[in-house]
Amino acid sequence: MIKIRNLYKSFGNHKLFQGIDLEVKKGEVIVLIGPSGSGKSTLLRCINGLEHFEQGEIDVAEIALHSLNRSRPSREDAEAIRQVRLKVGMVFQQFNLFPHMTVLENVVEAPVRVLGIDRGTAEKDALSFLRRINLESKALARPATLSGGEQQRVAIARALAMRPQAMLFDEPTASLDPETVGDVLAVIRDLVYQEGMTTLISTHEMGFAREIAHEVVVFDKGEIVEQGPPESIFTSPGQERTRTFLRRVLAK
Amino acid sequence: MLLFSMPSRLLRTVLALFFFLLAAASANAAPSTLDTIKQRGVLLWGCDIAGGAPLAFPDPKDPSRLLGFEADIAEAIARELGVRAQVVQTEWDSLVPGLERGNYDIAMNGLEIIPERQKRVLMSRPYYVYTLQLVVRKDETRINSIADLKGMTVGTLAGAMADSLLRKIGGVTLKSYSAVWPYDDLALGRIDAAFLDTPITAYYAKPDKRLKYVGPPEGEGFYGIAIRKDDRELKQAIDKVIDKLLRTGELKNIYDKWDLWDKTQTKLFETAAATDTASKLRTDSDEAPLSTFLPSLLKGAGMTVVLSIISMALAIGLGICLAFLRMYGPGALSAASAVYIEVYRGTPLLIQLFIIYYGLPNIGIVLSPFAAAIIGLGMNYAAYEAEVYRGGIEAVPKGQMEAALSLGMPRLLALRRIILPQAFRISLPAVTNDFIALFKDSSIVSVIAMVELTKTYSILAATTLRYFELGLVVALLYFGMSWPLSIMARRLERKLKGHK
Repeated sequence: MIKIRNLYKSFGNHKLFQGIDLEVKKGEVIVLIGPSGSGKSTLLRCINGLEHFEQGEIDVAEIALHSLNRSRPSREDAEAIRQVRLKVGMVFQQFNLFPHMTVLENVVEAPVRVLGIDRGTAEKDALSFLRRINLESKALARPATLSGGEQQRVAIARALAMRPQAMLFDEPTASLDPETVGDVLAVIRDLVYQEGMTTLISTHEMGFAREIAHEVVVFDKGEIVEQGPPESIFTSPGQERTRTFLRRVLAK
Repeated sequence: MLLFSMPSRLLRTVLALFFFLLAAASANAAPSTLDTIKQRGVLLWGCDIAGGAPLAFPDPKDPSRLLGFEADIAEAIARELGVRAQVVQTEWDSLVPGLERGNYDIAMNGLEIIPERQKRVLMSRPYYVYTLQLVVRKDETRINSIADLKGMTVGTLAGAMADSLLRKIGGVTLKSYSAVWPYDDLALGRIDAAFLDTPITAYYAKPDKRLKYVGPPEGEGFYGIAIRKDDRELKQAIDKVIDKLLRTGELKNIYDKWDLWDKTQTKLFETAAATDTASKLRTDSDEAPLSTFLPSLLKGAGMTVVLSIISMALAIGLGICLAFLRMYGPGALSAASAVYIEVYRGTPLLIQLFIIYYGLPNIGIVLSPFAAAIIGLGMNYAAYEAEVYRGGIEAVPKGQMEAALSLGMPRLLALRRIILPQAFRISLPAVTNDFIALFKDSSIVSVIAMVELTKTYSILAATTLRYFELGLVVALLYFGMSWPLSIMARRLERKLKGHK
């Protein structure tokens, strides 16, 4: 579903990725862990075209992004990136709900304007999504009146309303109050178990990673230190860097 | 407390100094203006040298020197008083208020001897008899005398007799000029005729091949020198000097030099005539209640409102285009937009208006005052609006665009649906501020013969000399319009904030 080969990416003089490979199969759940700044977010942002990269290939649902000039995309390149974005949904650490719209309008906006679904159908759809995340009653509220957890659940519903084939979660619970984290994780869990959604998550929630991941990928300084099923990564990590990282997170 | 704790000797010294200064100050106030002039050896005279030739104007070859028949007369008077003359540049409309404030000793610049003026200042005996000359375009056939002016647009001088005579004919649209003469506008077809004092006509219209004189000179009047009410002594001295200049023929020499002597000038010998002619022009504007002026002031206010709204609409539209070009346009257009913004913000609006109204006709673009005013204000404010919108767009968090893009929105759609509505809310306070500023700045277009509220005021005030009361009324009108606007803006702002 998503194939990353030999990815090179730098920020100015700082070289982050120097040849990264990763593959996500359909229905697979991959969790990215590692210290802040190790490249987890950047990888997710490369996949849906929010960051450009210098070398390598990324294929998303048969669309190849490797030949694109991403810093100054031509019209065709921009359209290819947009097609990728239609296939993968993204959820951000900061939610990024549209503050000038109600919750319902946030969810309905893209299906109506981008997919051309008529507003009535889109609203009915949106309400059923909101019901699933238990926020139907807030449909007409403005995002600012919602708690962080509620906003993040709306952001997930907004991404799902575009019927993506895969979802990218960029530290979805990192800016939440502890008491609202559970609700957001429950929504993701539901998505994975009920629908078998192909999912890539970067997170610091180790318990959740262990529970939900088919495969855990450990990042450090732009490198993939090791990857494998959660049991082996969490109980018998093969690398010293993984052990150091896990000791530090789990000690908290 | 501090004072009492001081050593008594120091206290005495301080007190002595204080009383000395007090005495010196009151002694200074005592001498008459005539004594002061002689003491300082300089006669200060107020004049609008921007008003132009042949009255008094800077020598084109050496702008520090003054030419014109009034400059010559001022020299002669100063010489007779045993001093030298020095001009104090003052807007023509402000000559009398400036005299009253003591900015100079006398004012001389084509000031007619009329009762309205004599109520506020003393007028010397006349030094020039002027008439009014009607001027039209060379190919004009409809207008042969001032009686034909009904329904026409005529340029005159604010607060002058021409103005009063034309008002009597009725049905004439008057355009008052003060900073520039109306002859260019006449030649360009912006007005149908010009009706001004003969010295000005002789200098500016006579040599102009695009124009011609029609009808006889109309309505005789006198120019006199304005002197403060309590300076009777100075008035007597100046009357005596004028009398002497007349009898010795020096005055005639001066007028001959400027090609202004004609047989009407002989009337200068019969000073009594001055008041007779002047009384023909007597109007009761001085006694009229302020409400008489309200209709014209309201009309001016209406023009100000219309002008502000249309200019602001232009500024917003153009400002959005400029901001977009600057932020998202290809290199050359982005640079062009940046240059536009910097040039318009870096040069005075007044100069921009002059270039648009008086400069563009040189390359064949003739705009009506209304169009010129709107384009001038609109293009100027567009530069400020562009920066406001750019600031607003840049203030929207980066994550908003990313979220929109990640939903598959094309960049333009994301801009329109997600970024701009938020940028609009951020910019709104600045935009309403700008609108209020533009509303008041619109008064500046009075310099291009646009009669809005401020111009209406300056015309009425110049004719009636009721600067104070009319000024208060006009200020109140401006305030009465801008105050509700800022209340509305604040309310809207609060409402949008609540929705965030």
